[in-house]
Amino acid sequence: MESINKIGRILMVEDDAKDVELTLTALEEYNLANEVIVTRDGEQALDYLYCRGEYKARSSGSPAVMLLDLKLPKVDGLEVLKQIKSDGELRMIPVVVLTSSKEEKDMVASYKLGVNAYVVKPVDFHEFVNAIKELGVFWAIINEPPPGSVRK
Amino acid sequence: MARSNLELQIARSLVIRYGMAVLSVSLALGGALLLERFHFRDVADQLFLLAIAVTVWYAGIGPAILAVVLSGLADTYFFIEPIYTLYITRDDLPHFVIFVLFASLLTGFAAVRRRVERDLVQARDDLQIEVAERTQQASLLNLTHDPIFVRDMSDVITYWNRGAQELYGWTDKEAMGRHSQELLQTIFPTPLEDIRAELLRTNRWEGELKKTKADGTQVVVASRWSLRRDEQERPVAILETNNNITERKRREEEIQSLNQELAKRSAELESINQELEAFAYSISHDLRAPLRHMAGYTELLQKKASSVVDEKSNHYMAMILDSAKRMGNLIDDLLAFSRIGRAETQKTPVNLTQLVKEALSEVRQDTEGRNIAWKIGTLPDFYGDRSMLRLVLVNLLSNAIKFTRTRPQAEIEIGSANGNGDELIVFVRDNGVGFDMKYVSKLFGVFQRLHQAHEFEGTGIGLATVQRIIHRHGGKVWAEGVVDSGATFYFSAPRPQGQLWRA
Repeated sequence: MESINKIGRILMVEDDAKDVELTLTALEEYNLANEVIVTRDGEQALDYLYCRGEYKARSSGSPAVMLLDLKLPKVDGLEVLKQIKSDGELRMIPVVVLTSSKEEKDMVASYKLGVNAYVVKPVDFHEFVNAIKELGVFWAIINEPPPGSVRK
Repeated sequence: MARSNLELQIARSLVIRYGMAVLSVSLALGGALLLERFHFRDVADQLFLLAIAVTVWYAGIGPAILAVVLSGLADTYFFIEPIYTLYITRDDLPHFVIFVLFASLLTGFAAVRRRVERDLVQARDDLQIEVAERTQQASLLNLTHDPIFVRDMSDVITYWNRGAQELYGWTDKEAMGRHSQELLQTIFPTPLEDIRAELLRTNRWEGELKKTKADGTQVVVASRWSLRRDEQERPVAILETNNNITERKRREEEIQSLNQELAKRSAELESINQELEAFAYSISHDLRAPLRHMAGYTELLQKKASSVVDEKSNHYMAMILDSAKRMGNLIDDLLAFSRIGRAETQKTPVNLTQLVKEALSEVRQDTEGRNIAWKIGTLPDFYGDRSMLRLVLVNLLSNAIKFTRTRPQAEIEIGSANGNGDELIVFVRDNGVGFDMKYVSKLFGVFQRLHQAHEFEGTGIGLATVQRIIHRHGGKVWAEGVVDSGATFYFSAPRPQGQLWRA
């Protein structure tokens, strides 16, 4: 299919293995899972973006979208967001906060830092799958990512 | 008085004083002439000297000189050969000169003595006046109720007024002559050397001291010291005024300790509040995740296995999903409830009629397919937090909608009732299933439900939220109900004072 060739790479930052599995399962249903990079904490995510550490040798290019959890080991989500949005290059990457937190202060802090979307993970699995699917479809297929993003 | 006696002795007018000189010399001359008649010889000189002495004593130096001159002339004229002339023979010249010199010397001595005595009397009188003044001043100091005492530079008490006696319990006789520090066991806030240094530098010192009374109890006094110096600027005495501030001090300390207690309490509350906030955050974040996983994996299982497992297993999986969903709702409601407790209320004038409309549109989806007769009366303006008050109305309306579900024709009325003058009352009445008044106390508790879950769904947090919001507005909530005949829920709030906010 034509559209498959245009799937943007998704960078997922999620420390919970079950959330990763469920998210990947949801993306799989819509054939969006094969271009997902999973990082398990904020530091790893930043390493990936800056091509350093274990990602030193990766092919260059930014993801089309970044799905970012807020509660992360080492460097937390808000800190990752802050670093990305204050970096001249990386700030163009669309960042979607995908979190369990419904707390208003998290939401306000994220928007203040320039987040592109804020999604609360629904408890209901149907809603969760729908949310992931729509996120994936929108950001990885419909949205025109900034120049320099990796597309298959 | 001494001074007036003296004035009597010293003749005041010149005429009298000089007349006295003339008179005394005349008397001496008369006496000498009389004695000569009786053949007493050589007494004239002594009599003249006596006259001069009396004159110098009582009339002063001027008349005394006149008396010397007159005596000399009289002596020459009447008693020195040749008599009845003022001529003095060469032989008598030494006699006369010695007489005049002796008389002058006598005058001089007497004058000096006179002056010394007069100065002494003057000094004594001055002293008496000063003593009188001081005594009067001291008795004035005695009139004041403020304790005042004076001590010399070696701290020995030299004055002790009635106020000091009243405060400390020692009479002036007991206190005077005692060492003040020993007597009062004074406790100084700063080293005594510093206090003394300041006193010597500025002539005064002020501070709070603790002293001990005769009965052994301690008093706190506001003490003022003034340094007295003599004419040579040497410090001679310290005047100390004390003000008993024991009671004030005690109250101050009481207030201070109460304040400290209060600060401690509010710090505790603050930290408890923060803990609660952290707790709520962690519930929001951490409790939801496993729930989502349970639901997610069950659903995946359902998808994969529903065609191969039996109906019971499918039912179990459905129950797991149902429970997960219910717990998700409970967590959400609990969070909303705790947020009401933590959120600041932002009070503004609120048009309740408008707010009811908004609440109705929010619960519209619950009314689909229902036959509800709405009756909305005139509602007062409220003063409160708009979004919280909307939550109150939404909760009460959705309850009314929920519990009239079994009625073919539901009736829901929103209106205001007359409270006493100070409060506004709003009610929501329905013709639903009602409740038994003996459970009325449970209605507003968290997670309290009067119906079984299969009859009416709900988490049991709606009315608790209503109560919490209304309490935060200073109002009350209550309810009336009859089983199967409907229920009425009331809430009240203090009527806004004045019309300021209406403008």
